[in-house]
Amino acid sequence: MTARHALAGVRWYLREVSGESAYDRYVEHARREHPGEPVMSRRDFERRRQDARESRTQARCC
Amino acid sequence: MNTSKARVRSIVIWTAVAVVGAVAWGVIALVRDEQISAAWLIAAALGSYAIGYRFYARFIARKVLEVDDRRATPAERLENDVDFQPTDRRVLFGHHFAAIAGAGPLVGPVLAAQMGYLPGTIWIIAGVIFAGAVQDMVTLFFSMRRDGKSLGQMARDEIGPVGGIAALVAVLAIMVILLAVLALVVVNALANSPWGTFSIAMTIPIALFMGAYLRVLRPGRVLEVTAIGVVLLLAALVAGKFVADSKSLADAFTLSPKALTLCLIAYGFIASVLPVWMLLTPRDYLSTVMKIGTICLLAVGILVTLPVMQNEAVTKFAHNGAGPVFAGSLFPFVFITIACGALSGFHALIASGTTPKMIEKESQVRFIGYGAMLMESFVAVMALIAASIIDPGLYYAMNAPAGVVGSTVQSASSAVNGLGFSITPGALQSAASAVQEQTLIARTGGGPTLAVGMSEIFSGATGNSLKAFWYHFAIMFEALFILTTVDAGTRVGRFMLQDTIGNIWKPYKRVSWMPGVLSASAIIVAAWGYFLYTGVTNPLGGINQLFPLFGIANQLLAAVALTVCTTLLIKHGKLKYAWVTAIPLAWDAVVTLTASWQKVFSDNPKLGFFAQRNKFSDAIDAGQVVAPAKSMDDMHAVVTNSTVDGVLAALFAILIVIVILDAMRVWMKAIRAGSLPTTEVPFVESHLVVPTGRFERREEPAGVTT
Repeated sequence: MTARHALAGVRWYLREVSGESAYDRYVEHARREHPGEPVMSRRDFERRRQDARESRTQARCC
Repeated sequence: MNTSKARVRSIVIWTAVAVVGAVAWGVIALVRDEQISAAWLIAAALGSYAIGYRFYARFIARKVLEVDDRRATPAERLENDVDFQPTDRRVLFGHHFAAIAGAGPLVGPVLAAQMGYLPGTIWIIAGVIFAGAVQDMVTLFFSMRRDGKSLGQMARDEIGPVGGIAALVAVLAIMVILLAVLALVVVNALANSPWGTFSIAMTIPIALFMGAYLRVLRPGRVLEVTAIGVVLLLAALVAGKFVADSKSLADAFTLSPKALTLCLIAYGFIASVLPVWMLLTPRDYLSTVMKIGTICLLAVGILVTLPVMQNEAVTKFAHNGAGPVFAGSLFPFVFITIACGALSGFHALIASGTTPKMIEKESQVRFIGYGAMLMESFVAVMALIAASIIDPGLYYAMNAPAGVVGSTVQSASSAVNGLGFSITPGALQSAASAVQEQTLIARTGGGPTLAVGMSEIFSGATGNSLKAFWYHFAIMFEALFILTTVDAGTRVGRFMLQDTIGNIWKPYKRVSWMPGVLSASAIIVAAWGYFLYTGVTNPLGGINQLFPLFGIANQLLAAVALTVCTTLLIKHGKLKYAWVTAIPLAWDAVVTLTASWQKVFSDNPKLGFFAQRNKFSDAIDAGQVVAPAKSMDDMHAVVTNSTVDGVLAALFAILIVIVILDAMRVWMKAIRAGSLPTTEVPFVESHLVVPTGRFERREEPAGVTT
């Protein structure tokens, strides 16, 4: 495994774990499954995601 | 040919792991008259974890649970873009670990170090392999087979309404006690410390800025805003030193424990009613980064400096039960004090929360449930090491309540001598000034002790000039994620309360109805705020009084989880494997019930809440003030606190008994019938293909370059 490969892996992991890649996944999903329909802007998508989090806060353990 | 070669290689490797682990255990257990290196504890832990994960966890997954990767998980069947989402196992491991590991595995082992490092180490390692990680994994599995049902719901469905209600009460009670104790740790860590108070106060504007950045400026750019936040946080930490050094600013940030308590209660209320994007989410990003970063740093620090254990293997307090940090002897109190890291009931709430809704393949419950808990256990071992490498005299001066050690270096020094350890007043003074604190005496709660231990380890690698910086770094990171827990916990408590009351009166259930939100938040904050305030003002020491209660509550929840797991194994007709969760359950019940019994019925006033109550109320009747109380008001406070705490300890014990007895009724029925129907969702064929290699990455979505 080259250093470049490892770095790409780290970047992938951080983007996945932080949820930063969620929008890209959504766009890809929307284009594939619902072609022709409008795709939400990133701003709208993230706002919806944040608001959905409001009612399902997860407890943090001790 | 190839397979037999691999087999031989596997046997050689695992024999080597077993030998390393066994030798390390031998050194820890048998070397008595000389101090041993912390490296032995690390080796024993890692060797045991590897074997537990490779053999026992695999046995549980394959034979006991019969995980089936051809079966579609709820994440696959119910995929939506809200909570059901197939998530890469390594990513989910990160989420799950961040949710289960907090201040608990750092605090408990520090307090348990009063028994010596040996009992704590054995319990942390054996407890996680046979009880804690098993509970997490099995709960995760059963919740996953039920579309991510919560623990309370499973208790209601599989045991019955009585067990279900008892479980709900247990969850609410532990939440309140947990928040109070953790907040107490923060108060004790920040009291009269302008450096710490300033840097923690600064986390609020930093989080607000991050929240606004994500909401308005650049939505979704989590990584860049977190990087900015971490830089600001470190800047606040450095600035804290200048605040502490400047005369005028230092006074503004020097708060008494009582003032801090009021600040925390106000903060808890406001934070829990604000929208999550403003404060909770960004704070969560920060505390997760700090948590992972500091844990890695601690591991590297210990491995680089290989410190030597100063603590005794087993202290006399293990037998005589007269330890100043918390009363009672080794059994059962080590097993109560160390919950997180060995067996923590709270994890069952997370293992039956969002994690089961995101698993891609059934077999991954082993890596995520069992594996993440092993990692938390390792954090606990490191915390125990950090507390055991500092001078025992300093340890007791810091961790005994003010009622024992007084408030001056002279009184603390002579009190420590009275306990059978020694430290000079000068050494106490210089330990405090080395980390730029006014005093380290009676800084109970584990936070400051851990910070001193960590600063010792880190400055061993970076030189003594940075000692004060590392101390405050440790304080800040602990306080940071305790505050996140307080915020999230208050919110979760509020949801549960709204849900419960909402069953009787509909409008209360709506999470956006402001009167409901405000009143439910106020009730939860008032509940933990009450225990926090009594803990801070208790002449007998809040940690000394409340920590056992917290441990009992947490282990009570573990009993509920293990009961649900055992019930399900039996109902599924797997009686011959029920011991996998039934033995940890029996152990947990014995420990918790013995501890509650002693806390309720012991006639030693240091140990039994009601004996303590009688001692002080008799003195009130006789018109006397008994030390450590200083006034009649103190005396009355002790009587009230002891009564409340004693009643709670009794209530917890009764709840455990109810849940187990109610479950046994179901066990009998299931054993007679061979098996009973459960709420398991029927088999659906899986079509999801997931990468299985260790380093393979899932395909990136189209349009994203790497």
